[in-house]
Amino acid sequence: MRSAWLIFAKDVRVLARSPALLVVLLAYPLVIAALVGMVASYASSKPRVAFVDEDGLPAAIDVAGHRFDLVGTIERSTSELTLVRVDRAEAERQLRAGRIVAMLVIPRGFAADLRSLVRRPRIELKTTRGGLSPRVTQQAQALVFSLNQTLSDAYLEATLKVVRLVVGGGPGEFFGNRFTVIGLTGARELLAGLPQVEQVQEIQKFVSQAETALGDADEALRATARPVELVELGDRGRTWLLSAQVQAYGLAVTISFLALLLAAGSLAAERDEDVLQRLVRGLAGHGRLVAAKVGLAALVATLLGLAIAVAFGVILELGGVAGGQPWERLPLLAMGLLLAGTALGALGTVVGALAREGRTATLAALLLVLPVVFLGLVPREVAPAAGWISDAFPFAHALRFFGDALFELDPWGSLAREAAWLAGLALAYGAVARVAMRRLLA
Amino acid sequence: MSGETLLSARGVTRRYGARVALHVTDLDVHAGETIALTGPNGAGKSTLLSILAGALVPSGGRVERVSGVLVGWAPQRPAHYGKLSARENLELFARLGRVPDAEGAAELLLAEFGLPGDRQASGTLSVGMRQRLNVAIALLGAPRVLLLDEPSASLDPEQRRRLWELASGLRAHGGALVFATQHLEELERADRVIRLEEGRAAAA
Repeated sequence: MRSAWLIFAKDVRVLARSPALLVVLLAYPLVIAALVGMVASYASSKPRVAFVDEDGLPAAIDVAGHRFDLVGTIERSTSELTLVRVDRAEAERQLRAGRIVAMLVIPRGFAADLRSLVRRPRIELKTTRGGLSPRVTQQAQALVFSLNQTLSDAYLEATLKVVRLVVGGGPGEFFGNRFTVIGLTGARELLAGLPQVEQVQEIQKFVSQAETALGDADEALRATARPVELVELGDRGRTWLLSAQVQAYGLAVTISFLALLLAAGSLAAERDEDVLQRLVRGLAGHGRLVAAKVGLAALVATLLGLAIAVAFGVILELGGVAGGQPWERLPLLAMGLLLAGTALGALGTVVGALAREGRTATLAALLLVLPVVFLGLVPREVAPAAGWISDAFPFAHALRFFGDALFELDPWGSLAREAAWLAGLALAYGAVARVAMRRLLA
Repeated sequence: MSGETLLSARGVTRRYGARVALHVTDLDVHAGETIALTGPNGAGKSTLLSILAGALVPSGGRVERVSGVLVGWAPQRPAHYGKLSARENLELFARLGRVPDAEGAAELLLAEFGLPGDRQASGTLSVGMRQRLNVAIALLGAPRVLLLDEPSASLDPEQRRRLWELASGLRAHGGALVFATQHLEELERADRVIRLEEGRAAAA
């Protein structure tokens, strides 16, 4: 392998002397990775929903003697949507045009129905089909749930107020009627001042039991109204930008572009410089040339990948992000980068061997890497065929390896599987490249 | 011819699809001999030299080389790395060819051909300088058979003279030279002239 090492060392020297090429090779995949991230970010952005308020809802509304921040409740419950206030006709028009994914309508009489408690108030939802509409439906359900919960709390509070009045006594009001009651406690005190005949004692016993039972009504009623309570904890983990998924995407996309283009271009460059025929007459065989180019791609991919991982880690540390970077996993990540770089480099040498010259090889590598990357980003459950095709290319395996290596608690099984895939693909593509070179030169 | 046979082509032929670049050709290269290949463009001169050099696999026939005989080859278009200096190119090809003392061999050829060494990338050298480097690489390891494809095409008169001096030295030490040329005056330097036309060889 001495000749492969000499060609590899020559390539590293040539690369170091091509600053413009080096900058493009390093910057271009980073830009693409950032663009993919932005596209993914857009996919998870807030859907636009028309909010049609036909009832002219006030900011606050009194129901069952309780004041509700109705608009605030709606805004909080739909925080994952971008609400656009329009009238019904405009909402219908925008829905047909696809400018909004749904319309949420507060019909006339909503507030009156809410106050009267005679008829159930309704909120109308109209969505487009597919796409983001399930998310909007979930948000609308969350809004209704939130409103119901707020109302339920108010009704519960009003009921408990009456219960407390019955127990403790004092002035009260019910549906506008003012009154004063002595309450169970007052009744017990009055009964204590009466001659303790059997009937009085029976009433005292009942009053005491009622006091005890109603004393527990508060918690019992709350538990009945809301059997299961969801508590939102303050720590919300990493921001989307620094998530494990984005880091794995960034690494996989970057080294895919880099390794494929570098291996394809550097192999074709041997032919561009008319050196290939000089080399293959006993100085360096086809296999060794392929090995040198694969080695170059793997080395640069590993170094750049580690630099990106360290940069991510430093940002996480400086930002004090919970969990931080799993520094102890860097050696594992380096192994994955090396394997992925090798497999991607081997695929690049196939392109380089089949292309007639450097520019064609670079263009062909670019044409190949885009569908390979996008195919690998399609979830397998959405399009199983995309998953099968993607398995034949290193990108998807690299993506899974990086994700698991960085953030799975027990990644060994999946890492072994992906490493085997990457090693197998590297050998297969390397063999194809060797045959392609021999046939083209033959 | 009195010298031993150093290199032989036995019934070699070369096709590119349906086109025949070189019809069945036999050639023996003997020690102390200079052979000139001549003929119009596309006649098959470069193809025959590439096959003799082992740079091109023949479609038929075989090339035989006496064991231990080193064959140097300078293709028609200079073949070296443009981003490396002349010295780096020479040292790299010397190491690839397992030439003992690669640095020493490179130094010697740099001086012999008046090449600039480390000063500039070989891709930025003049056409003549690149051709000198091309021939210098072919001479690494002191080959006994030298195959030169139109070697004097871009050389100035002084460099041509030095090239033919080198060739004479090679012959004097029992080596052999096979070169392709379109210059009639260079044919006088050959012991044997082979004319190629449409891939067919004939003694001129």
